[in-house]
Amino acid sequence: MAIEGHTSRAYDGELSSLHVQVVEMGGLLLLQVREAANAYTEWDPGLARRVVERERLLNGYHRDVDARSLALIARRQPVASDLRAVVALSRVVAELERAGDEARKIAQAVLGRAGGSASRPGFATARDARHLARLAVNMVRLSLDALDRLDGPLAREVIALDRELDEEYASGLRRLMTRAMEDVRVFGGAMEAAFVLKSLERIGDHARNVARLMLSLGRDAAGAPPGEGQPAADASPR
Amino acid sequence: MNDTPSAPPAAGPATAIDAKSLPMPEGIRTVGSVTTADPLFSCRSVDVFYGQKQAIKNLNIDIGRKQVLAMIGPSGCGKSTFLRCLNRMNDTIVGARVEGQIHLDGRDIHDRKQDVVQLRARVGMVFQKPNPFPKSIYENVAYGPRIHGLAGDRAELDDIVSTSLRRAGLWDEVKDRLQQPGTSLSGGQQQRLCIARTIAVNPEVILMDEPCSALDPIATARIEDLIDELRQSYAICIVTHSMQQAARVSQRTAYFHLGELIEVGETDRIFTNPRAKLTEDYITGRFG
Repeated sequence: MAIEGHTSRAYDGELSSLHVQVVEMGGLLLLQVREAANAYTEWDPGLARRVVERERLLNGYHRDVDARSLALIARRQPVASDLRAVVALSRVVAELERAGDEARKIAQAVLGRAGGSASRPGFATARDARHLARLAVNMVRLSLDALDRLDGPLAREVIALDRELDEEYASGLRRLMTRAMEDVRVFGGAMEAAFVLKSLERIGDHARNVARLMLSLGRDAAGAPPGEGQPAADASPR
Repeated sequence: MNDTPSAPPAAGPATAIDAKSLPMPEGIRTVGSVTTADPLFSCRSVDVFYGQKQAIKNLNIDIGRKQVLAMIGPSGCGKSTFLRCLNRMNDTIVGARVEGQIHLDGRDIHDRKQDVVQLRARVGMVFQKPNPFPKSIYENVAYGPRIHGLAGDRAELDDIVSTSLRRAGLWDEVKDRLQQPGTSLSGGQQQRLCIARTIAVNPEVILMDEPCSALDPIATARIEDLIDELRQSYAICIVTHSMQQAARVSQRTAYFHLGELIEVGETDRIFTNPRAKLTEDYITGRFG
């Protein structure tokens, strides 16, 4: 699908600038996820602090895109693919914002949650977290590429990748629990690590949701209502 | 309306058919469902020519009772021409030729036995510019019922006039000045007077050709509200250049382009997920 091509160039400009802003927000999220994971696996409180501080920028993008989407709906009354694009972009920013929340939670695990102390992951846990982070970051990156280029096939690839992340999360969690049961002294740290792994898995889910929303921009995405059969073969969209 | 005598049936035993929806010819290019539940009009292979120029090409569509069909498309696409086919207004244009079948409730409207005056009573029309007669408000509404002999006496005529004005949402504004000229009303009131005049003869279908294009947004909203009420009783076909208006008032939308019916379907679907690229380009404002 294309965002541009309207007779009104101003309308084209408003839609594409909304799209660009969402892609920019995605770039910031990618940085957040990458640095939050690094801060945890390499145990870097300085980096974690920067991630927590930057989160308000993500929230700012969310508010801004929402306000601009509302204004665009009010002023332009978009329909068909334009309407789907505006609604989808609005949902994409909500997904990006929630993924940003997960990145902040990972960073806060390094800084220590309120009332508790932080526990650095052991070698094996850090290795599992690093592996999950690689998969999650890759999914975020590809979903943003798909969003940037409005690339349907790439979006489908991202959706397929989510299963691998889910499986890796399940086995990482199993290994973590085994270690915790073997040595109860690491139980507190293992709980923290489980939350971090869960956050990485959730980030993958948000990337998958972004990819799904991307696909909803395509023609016939909403499906045709019953009783509106396509007549002849030559009646395909002209 | 219910207490007024019903319109007499179309003249003569015109060619009645069993099914109200005519058989579909081969090779239809229109996207979407051209048929509808409980059709009142059934149009098949309709071609319209103005002299040598073909204004409508192989049009096939059913128009259902108690629903609003909006016809949209760029200027010159044939939507108004098609609207005028439905009550044979094109007969009045020199050089205009209509081919194909147009059946109203199972009867061919081009049948030799079809009385055109009766047809136009069954298929009323409201125009772009309000066109009240240069007579009183009362006479504007009473004229149709009188010439069609719908009222037995003055009391019955009064009743038709007040009912029609009520149904057109105009009664409260004009009940104390029925003898004043229709042209003394505001544009929106005049348009509602024209709608009252149309429904006074108890039609089955109301055709509207850009009925709000000369009205302000409040008057437009009142007409749109009225359209929504009228569809409980009538089939309504509206030609509009306002896509938002089509989206607001209709249940079905038909998109015309260069004399062809490109796509027709439920309005919700047309405005969220059109199937034909031409429809999508037109409604999203990408039409070159």
